[in-house]
Amino acid sequence: MQFPKVTLERPRWTPFNIVAAIVVVVGLGITVLRFTKGLAATTNLSDYNPWGIWIGFDLLVGVALAAGGYVTSAACYLFGLKRFHTAVRPAILTGFLGYALVVLALHYDVGRPWRLPYPFIVQQGTTSLLFEVAACVALYLTVLFIEWTPAALEWLGLKRARNLVVRLTLVLTIFGVVLSTLHQSSLGALFLIAPSKLHPLWYSPYLALFFFVSSIVAGLSMVIFEGALAHRYFHHKMDEAHRREADGVALGFAKAASWVLGGYFVLKVVGVAQADAWHHLASGYGAWFLVEVIGFVLLPCFFFAIGAREKNLRIVRFTAAWAVLGIVINRFNVGLIAFNYHLPSSERYFPHWMEIGISLFIVTIGVLAYKFIVSHMPILYAHPDYEPH
Amino acid sequence: MGGPVHSLHEFMLRTESITYILIAAALCAFVFFWRFLSERDDDRDHLGADRPGPGEGGHGAH
Repeated sequence: MQFPKVTLERPRWTPFNIVAAIVVVVGLGITVLRFTKGLAATTNLSDYNPWGIWIGFDLLVGVALAAGGYVTSAACYLFGLKRFHTAVRPAILTGFLGYALVVLALHYDVGRPWRLPYPFIVQQGTTSLLFEVAACVALYLTVLFIEWTPAALEWLGLKRARNLVVRLTLVLTIFGVVLSTLHQSSLGALFLIAPSKLHPLWYSPYLALFFFVSSIVAGLSMVIFEGALAHRYFHHKMDEAHRREADGVALGFAKAASWVLGGYFVLKVVGVAQADAWHHLASGYGAWFLVEVIGFVLLPCFFFAIGAREKNLRIVRFTAAWAVLGIVINRFNVGLIAFNYHLPSSERYFPHWMEIGISLFIVTIGVLAYKFIVSHMPILYAHPDYEPH
Repeated sequence: MGGPVHSLHEFMLRTESITYILIAAALCAFVFFWRFLSERDDDRDHLGADRPGPGEGGHGAH
């Protein structure tokens, strides 16, 4: 097998690098402010709105979009769909970076971040959903790290350690699916405590189910979306097997996403029926709910189906980006827009520019880390010295 | 939808009835959706590409 090597000198100051450098410098400045002046100086959070975009975007969206790891490894190792094997490493890497950045974002959001390990070593609080989310995220981040290490160990040439970790693949996959099922749903269940604060169209006893099912869509869509980006920007890093199988991965995942989105749409309608919230559809929030459910669930479902049926990769890739945006909108709606809907506009939350700056900073760090790892480690190609696992 | 609700019983009767109708409609719709999704697949796609096609031996691609 040909080992891909790039000898071309690439320009250092590309537009991407310049923008990334600016975001990182500004982000570091805001980081200093956040940890010296506190939350009040850098956020618009208040007692009414204790969770802003660092939770609504960085955590809720971050965890959902990192679901590609468990979805892809389950498809490949648990359901035996080996034709998706080349998608596993990129998906695991995205999942690992996503969860690592979620934990980083939490350090900005919680008032006393040095107390983050307290639920594990000081006071468990096992009746709290947050304890379950914290435990699952911590454990799953560890699982994703171990699942990612074969690539790093191959890069470092540590053959024995790599072979040892590879033997754990099936156990880690099962553990990952169990942990993801638990905490993806628990993130939705967190909002069950606030039935009077969350708009009736979004509040539902099925919130946990909504979050879990939509995380599968997010995972499938992210793998397609990320695969399209990797094809465009890291084509030179891909080996023959990755290039050959990429189209099949996109079409197979589009078919699955279409099916799951159809089920998710039915669940959302059943949620409205169970709450008898039909009359709310005639309000402004109702119009926005319909935009979300029809515009970002039903239509992507239909377009995924068209793309998979016609084997049209352009439609599939475009719809994947569309579905990812839909997940972002859904998490924003539950966490921010439809939350505290009863408050007057003067009391509503809008993020401080520094909050947006930190969110951009964290996303940029993720993109840079992905770029570094994909450029140096065998993520988009199989290392010639090792058997695929 | 419908008139005012005066008791929990009425509420449950209404919401559960609508839910059952919706689920039945969805299950019927899913049959057509599945046909729409997979009618252009060839036999190999129906089996799944991991399984050997006609005339192929072995245990599938790995």
